[in-house]
Amino acid sequence: MNTIKRWFAERLPITGVQLEELTNEPVPAHLRRWWFCLGGTPAYLFVVQIVTGILLAFYYQPSPQTAFESIDTITNQVAFGWYIRGMHKWAATLMIAAVILHQMRVYFTGAYRQPREINWIVGMCLLLCTLVVGFTGYSLVFEQLSFWGATVAANICDTVPYVGVFAKRMLLAGDSYNDNTLSRFFILHAAVLPGLMILLIGIHVAILRLQGVSELRFENEPADAPKHFDFFPDHFYTELIIGLTLMILLSVLATVLPVTLGPKADPLTTPEVIKPEWWFYVSFRWLKLFSGTFAVLSSGFVVFVMFVWPFIDGWIRKHTRFSEASVWIGIVGVFLLVGLTVWEAVVEH
Amino acid sequence: MTLQSKRYLIGFLGLLFLASLVLVQAMEIARKREEVGLTSGHVAVPATSKGCVECHGKSSPGIIDHWKFSTHAQKGVGCVECHQAQKGDVDGFTHYGHLIATVVTPKDCGRCHEKETTEFTHSHHAKAGNILASLDNFLAETVEGSRTPFNPHSPTPGKPDIHEVNGMSSAAVGCQQCHGSKVALLAKDGGKITLDDLKPDAKGQPTNLDVLDRIAKTEDGRPKLHADTWPNTGIGRLNLDGSLGSCSACHSRHDFSPRRARQPENCGKCHLGPDHPQKEIYEESKHGVAFRDLRDHMNLNAKDWVLGKDYSQAPTCATCHMSGHSKNGGTITHDPGQRISWTNRPAVSAVLDTDANGKLVTEADPAKRRSLVTFSADEKRTNMKQVCHHCHTPDYVNAFYKQYDDFIVLYNEKFGKPGQAIIAALRKNELLTKTEFDEEIEWTWFYLWHHEGRRARHGASMMAPDYAHWHGMFEVAERFYMQLIPQAREITQHAAESGKGEQAAAVNAVIDEILARPEHKWLDSGKKPATDKPAAR
Repeated sequence: MNTIKRWFAERLPITGVQLEELTNEPVPAHLRRWWFCLGGTPAYLFVVQIVTGILLAFYYQPSPQTAFESIDTITNQVAFGWYIRGMHKWAATLMIAAVILHQMRVYFTGAYRQPREINWIVGMCLLLCTLVVGFTGYSLVFEQLSFWGATVAANICDTVPYVGVFAKRMLLAGDSYNDNTLSRFFILHAAVLPGLMILLIGIHVAILRLQGVSELRFENEPADAPKHFDFFPDHFYTELIIGLTLMILLSVLATVLPVTLGPKADPLTTPEVIKPEWWFYVSFRWLKLFSGTFAVLSSGFVVFVMFVWPFIDGWIRKHTRFSEASVWIGIVGVFLLVGLTVWEAVVEH
Repeated sequence: MTLQSKRYLIGFLGLLFLASLVLVQAMEIARKREEVGLTSGHVAVPATSKGCVECHGKSSPGIIDHWKFSTHAQKGVGCVECHQAQKGDVDGFTHYGHLIATVVTPKDCGRCHEKETTEFTHSHHAKAGNILASLDNFLAETVEGSRTPFNPHSPTPGKPDIHEVNGMSSAAVGCQQCHGSKVALLAKDGGKITLDDLKPDAKGQPTNLDVLDRIAKTEDGRPKLHADTWPNTGIGRLNLDGSLGSCSACHSRHDFSPRRARQPENCGKCHLGPDHPQKEIYEESKHGVAFRDLRDHMNLNAKDWVLGKDYSQAPTCATCHMSGHSKNGGTITHDPGQRISWTNRPAVSAVLDTDANGKLVTEADPAKRRSLVTFSADEKRTNMKQVCHHCHTPDYVNAFYKQYDDFIVLYNEKFGKPGQAIIAALRKNELLTKTEFDEEIEWTWFYLWHHEGRRARHGASMMAPDYAHWHGMFEVAERFYMQLIPQAREITQHAAESGKGEQAAAVNAVIDEILARPEHKWLDSGKKPATDKPAAR
């Protein structure tokens, strides 16, 4: 054993103590509460997506002639194909939910405030990447709803003044859905966006490590309670428990609610009802409430405000007496988010 | 939570996750077993059929067991969905609260399978019941049986209750089990009530209500079906609702197995025997040989079973005549005639140009013919060639069709048309009675075209050399030269001797003209004296 240790020590100039110091950063005491660990959850699900996505890519064929059939093959013929596809689909759903919940937690605890504005912006980029990767992934299935969902999304892009036509062409690889569209979605979904997300997650975590996790104290906490605890093994165990729970949850969802396959995309037959995946319900309902251009521009404005919110909030806190304005604005935002989503979910059109 | 508690929790969750993987493995094994047909899939019994499944699960468990293996069972299509009747349906009856009918017709299947039913209705299969007024049926009903019942002429030991012989039984269990019966309700006087009496409207309901009172019913009000016509799954069945055919002829009830319909044995229920041994012909062909060897790799359980995508090892009957393939977007047809370019059914094969009603166009004038044809034999051949091209080059396929066409034309010109002309001359000159099959030459001619001639032509169409030659043209030739011609000559000789010299001469003229043709000259060449040959030393 000592010989092996010595062999590695000669080649890797880092000691066990140094490694422990590097990984064993003190973790703020509030992270003992489970619901504060939502940052690790999407990262964990992202790893699940990469592993299951690679397995699915072994069989997936991104062309209008073969895409649907290859997914049918994965689902009905490939050994464990149904399970891997189910895990991928449910992990995507949970990942989007986890990202949104994580962002809510950061927002309502004010963890985006100075000096963490940049990390908030990186997080916003990750949120958008997650939504787009979800959209492109759903489009790859090439069933009726996913095809028409992508067509509707492209038409929405078209309504944006000046850049809309260009955005639509970039999305569809042409003026309309064509033989190259699915290849483009596939490259975005399986290479460009995951690569970008890995980079952003790296920056997100690096900034977190440089600044440290924002610390929270609770009113009922004893004054002499320890402010920190060890990352390893204490917090590591917590993350492991969350990871195992997620894997069990994914397994249960993939088996109890197995992923299905609708009718194959038919460009000549528009379905009576077109709906996107649930995470776009809020935008879809918003688009139905207002005229196309206004709805798109107002949505874009909301996203812009979310990006620069740490600076707006800083200005409000500095120049007005509404220091808790962000909480009330957040509550209104959550009500709008949930309300519009539920509204879209319960109505047929 | 203490570190120790976390460790226990991690251990517990780890075991739980492993257990979930074991469950996944069990599900995968179950899926594979289902895929290879060892178990039935998930069965969704609709609420309306729960009572049926429970009761028939005890009284006729086979039916329920078959159904459990069907796609219907997996999709939640139960007993009532197919057997349901509408108020006013002549065969409908209330059974434990549900208005149902025993016979499920294409009209019923068409409620969900509209495209398939429409295709089938246009097919020759659906019209197979037209045989009921044909020569074949005369054979079964009159020659083999009796259209009127007759008394037994001596007792049958052990069966004292036989007081009457049902002369239609040969037709009922023979012809009609393939061609389809005219389904009849039992009348109170023991007679039959068919669609001819009921005159059903477009919805399948009777318009002649006067006959309803004549229907015999069981004590619980169920109309009785006439045992001469039911049970029957003949493909051209004439149903009480006016629809033609029976989907279960190919898609056996109650599992409606696509796998079975894809295999040649399914077609072999009817397409075999001395008159149209397509199944045996297929088995002799390289296609059939390859299928027997490779059927385990044919992916017969595939959802769509598309040639060139799901399999390409060998074609079956369904592959060539019905199934989807990679060159037509996987489109299945339930009209096998869409890929057949010759009809080899009649005494003389005909080019299968069809009109708007799907009927064979017999018009000889080219211009008139063109105006009548809506689906040409060339188009049908192109459809078939698309299937061939999955494994054969265009040159290969075209050369095959050249061989096939040449063979059919040879049969037609050398034996089919001449035989037809001789029989027609005999009839025209009244040297045959009006009754079919009461003279030897009528049997001879029937054997020639209906049995041996078809065997030859079908053998050529599906690449079975032994059927084309030894079971086919060899026997056709033997029947023509050694039986048909001598029997015709004998008839004319008897006619001449009995004062019908003119008629005999007319028929002999037809025979002489035929035998004087170059292809028949060999027959007399050996009988002439060899005057120009040097004498043997």
